[in-house]
Amino acid sequence: MRVTRLPRYTLWRCVCATLLTALSLNVSAGSRLLGTGGVSQIEGAAGGGLSPWAVLAGTASSGEVGLTTVGTRAWLNDYRLSVGGVGLNLHDRLELSLARQRLDLTTLGGKLEQNIAGGKLRLFGDLLYHPWGIWSLGLQHKWLEEGDLARAIGASDTRGTDIYLSGSKLWFSAIAGRNLVTNLTLRHSAANQGGLLGYGGDQKDSASLLVEGAVGLFITPSWIIGTEYRQKPDNLSFAAEDDWQSLYSAYFFTKQVSVTAAWLELGSIAGLNDQRGGYLSLQLAF
Amino acid sequence: MLHRSRIMLIAVLSSAMLMAAGCTLRQSSPPLYADLGGESGISAVVENLMYRIADDSHIVGFFANTNIDLFVASLEQQLCDISDGPCDYQGPPMDRAHQHMGLDNSHFNRLVEHLDAAMIDEGLSLQTRNRLYARLTPLHGEIMRLQ
Repeated sequence: MRVTRLPRYTLWRCVCATLLTALSLNVSAGSRLLGTGGVSQIEGAAGGGLSPWAVLAGTASSGEVGLTTVGTRAWLNDYRLSVGGVGLNLHDRLELSLARQRLDLTTLGGKLEQNIAGGKLRLFGDLLYHPWGIWSLGLQHKWLEEGDLARAIGASDTRGTDIYLSGSKLWFSAIAGRNLVTNLTLRHSAANQGGLLGYGGDQKDSASLLVEGAVGLFITPSWIIGTEYRQKPDNLSFAAEDDWQSLYSAYFFTKQVSVTAAWLELGSIAGLNDQRGGYLSLQLAF
Repeated sequence: MLHRSRIMLIAVLSSAMLMAAGCTLRQSSPPLYADLGGESGISAVVENLMYRIADDSHIVGFFANTNIDLFVASLEQQLCDISDGPCDYQGPPMDRAHQHMGLDNSHFNRLVEHLDAAMIDEGLSLQTRNRLYARLTPLHGEIMRLQ
């Protein structure tokens, strides 16, 4: 018992130490304004919670490099999702990210684990200053640790690559003098439940073109609330797949520390309906 | 059921985007110039801003050959003009004024942060600051055009 608990305490100690360091030393954050890097979404890219946005991680701008780390957990009725990830922002031009997802099947028993390597290239623009906002092209290469379950339920592959095009824009003084962020993402993907249930299936084997959207209102420069929507394919006859939705609230304490809380409505997952619940994410940026 | 919620959400998203576009197009009734505190308010913000620039080693170099008195007067006039005050900006166009200075977004962002801090210092509300930014952001493209 003692042996299994020890690493967990060590992990929390590391998290607290990093948090304190980030808060106390105003370590070299980038020059981009607070909140303009969004938060880390569940696949490791900068964005909202569910969907990648066009913005690049952290606050690095031209000539600057930024590093972000994230820890996320979501508690659904029959599942628990944990995500850990890192992101690197090179000159606000290229974002590289790595994430690891673990889905604990709390009702069915067992777990699914997936790795995601991501890249996002800013094509042109800026969230705040460009009349058309910022536009980026991204990809996420994902692979399951053990594909037996995915194959057993009819998925054709245990690895796959999503490609997406995102546009984000901040509208100054849009509602009650507050700034509004809008994001639109088009994703080309064959992933079942984001890839945790494999790629493609007996019902549809090819990738689909999917729409993801988000809006968020900055109540203050440090606090944004909003909603996200992510369309999903429905490739497996074994279990229907629903689109994902969320209501979120993110608070940027500093450029280094942000916390996101959300309510997720993920619909049916692997035959268990009405998967909803809370979501909590801590991001540290350097 | 699913399709209804999907359509609802798309409707909410698109109407929020339309609202955003509509609100930015519509001119708000209280003039921005008055909310900025008129001539004295703008003057206080610009003075506060100049002290912040002087303390920032990353950007103060760009002002090495600048006549600060002329610059201050010109910036005050520009802010007055852009906020619908009783002024007509007589200074050089933004692209020519910043030509070949070697500015990039990191310099621009720093100036925006200093301006925001100066306006907070001078007691301007979030709404007033955001309304001013809505009018200043188009200048970014002009300033960066001839870098």
